Amino acid sequence: MGKFVIIGERIHCISPIIKKAMEEMNPDPIIKRAKDQIAAGATYIDVNIGPAEKNGPELMKWAVQTIQEACDNVPLALDTANRAAIEAGISVYNRSKGKPIVNSADAGDRIENVDLAAANDAIVIALCSKAGVPADNDERMTYCQELLERGMNAGMDPEDMWFDPLFLVIKGMQDKQMDVLDFVGQLSDMGLNSTGGLSNVSNGTPKHIRPILDSATVAMAMCKGLTSAIMNPCDTRLVETIKAADIIKNNFLYADSFLEL
Amino acid sequence: MAFTRKPQVYSSSINEVTIGVGEKAVTFGGSNIMPLYTFDAPAKNKVAIGVEITDSGVDRTLPGIAAYYEGAETISEIAARAAEMPGADFVVLALNGADPNGDNRPVEECVEIAKQVADAIDVPLAIVGARNVEKDTALFTAISEALQGKNVLFVSAREEDYKTIAASAVMAYSNKISAESAVDINLAKQLNVLLSQMGIKPESYVMNVGAAAAGYGYDYVASTLDRVKDAALAQNDVMLQMPIITPVSQEAWAVKEAIVTEEDYPDWGDRETRGVDMEVCTAAAVIAGGSDAVILRHPQSVATISGLIADLM
Repeated sequence: MGKFVIIGERIHCISPIIKKAMEEMNPDPIIKRAKDQIAAGATYIDVNIGPAEKNGPELMKWAVQTIQEACDNVPLALDTANRAAIEAGISVYNRSKGKPIVNSADAGDRIENVDLAAANDAIVIALCSKAGVPADNDERMTYCQELLERGMNAGMDPEDMWFDPLFLVIKGMQDKQMDVLDFVGQLSDMGLNSTGGLSNVSNGTPKHIRPILDSATVAMAMCKGLTSAIMNPCDTRLVETIKAADIIKNNFLYADSFLEL
Repeated sequence: MAFTRKPQVYSSSINEVTIGVGEKAVTFGGSNIMPLYTFDAPAKNKVAIGVEITDSGVDRTLPGIAAYYEGAETISEIAARAAEMPGADFVVLALNGADPNGDNRPVEECVEIAKQVADAIDVPLAIVGARNVEKDTALFTAISEALQGKNVLFVSAREEDYKTIAASAVMAYSNKISAESAVDINLAKQLNVLLSQMGIKPESYVMNVGAAAAGYGYDYVASTLDRVKDAALAQNDVMLQMPIITPVSQEAWAVKEAIVTEEDYPDWGDRETRGVDMEVCTAAAVIAGGSDAVILRHPQSVATISGLIADLM
């Protein structure tokens, strides 16, 4: 197995700085945040432009080119509900460091994003949900199968479908945590790649607690076979946990300086 | 259903490292396939063979070596003869006599010998030290300066002396070094990390992950080579994509099978044949495991291994 893939989540229009930069098409704050995340260990950078109903295609093209030109063609996850914007982003995307990721499809309204990924030789993050949170792992698996079938019929390599089990918030859904982890194990047993929004688990907990809960979750999920996460790579504890887990899983050969690599 | 062949070609590849200058310069590594899997894709460069001579010449107690070097008396003549050995790509000068626990040949004398060897040959040169941290540091620094511009390979820098050797041989005089980690895969990677953190470029160093003659711990060498190649190619671990050089001769000719005489062990037969067998089977094994260059001593071993490389690559 290869190393765990960190998808940096910090270029998100929910951040006031990024929102402003996107409105003004000011490259500097966006490039800085991309570079910080890459230096901290991100392989992919997620580019969330929000719904971007007005100027989605134009904005995504600009963001893709701005980030890739400044960051040695770092691979990107294109994250928006606006499908035209994703297609526009892919049209200017440089693949030399990796395929683009379509973020995301689900088994409901967004299932067509699987077709979009297939048509554009992209990776797709496939949420194992339809509307709301799946009740149990049987339901998750049903959606997983629907998505997988859709992708394979469209000619996708299953390796390019990264299934998202939907990490759930601990505060409020504590009793569901092991279910999610077990589902990661089921995906892994099927030989499938997986990813997900890791920081969901620690939502609403105090700031100093979040890295601890995120780190424990990622370690337990990696043990079950999780291959990627959408997360904050600038969280040192979290990244160190992932690097250590990659060593324990033999995904990466140990050397005394492994944390620096 | 028809069989569809799917070549196992990796998107990552072994670094290329060139030693020597001019037409006869030799490049190690460069491939993106498992060792000898040339049915998947062509190998970028063939495995290279270095012929070992020492500061005191060659071992003329072995009839085959005595015959090959007949008439070559001075170190220059011996070096020139080694350079024209069929199948050889470069010459290796092993400064065994520099060992402080042995003849303790002074650094100045070693520099002089190295110069004579370098001047006598038109193929690349590698220098093997005395395997003593202090002496090797002094030797490699002085020889590196004297042979500046020759693009010489120094074998080897170790955990204890890599800093000084890398600073002098590579940074000051633009030569090449090999990082040695006696069959310790984690140390192999760590040394590469440390060298790269010093600013040494990937095209400036190879690694010697250790050697052992067949039957003398070779299984550890085999598993080390396998894991290194898997990390380098399948896991795209850039800190293990250095080409590998394996000094086979010093291991193969140091084991009992290559040392004891026929008088003492009549059942074992001719000593030279045994030594060549050890050298050939160890070299073939490390090449199959992923070594990009081997150091050999006997002309017959060089002929056999170069034939194997020609047939399989």
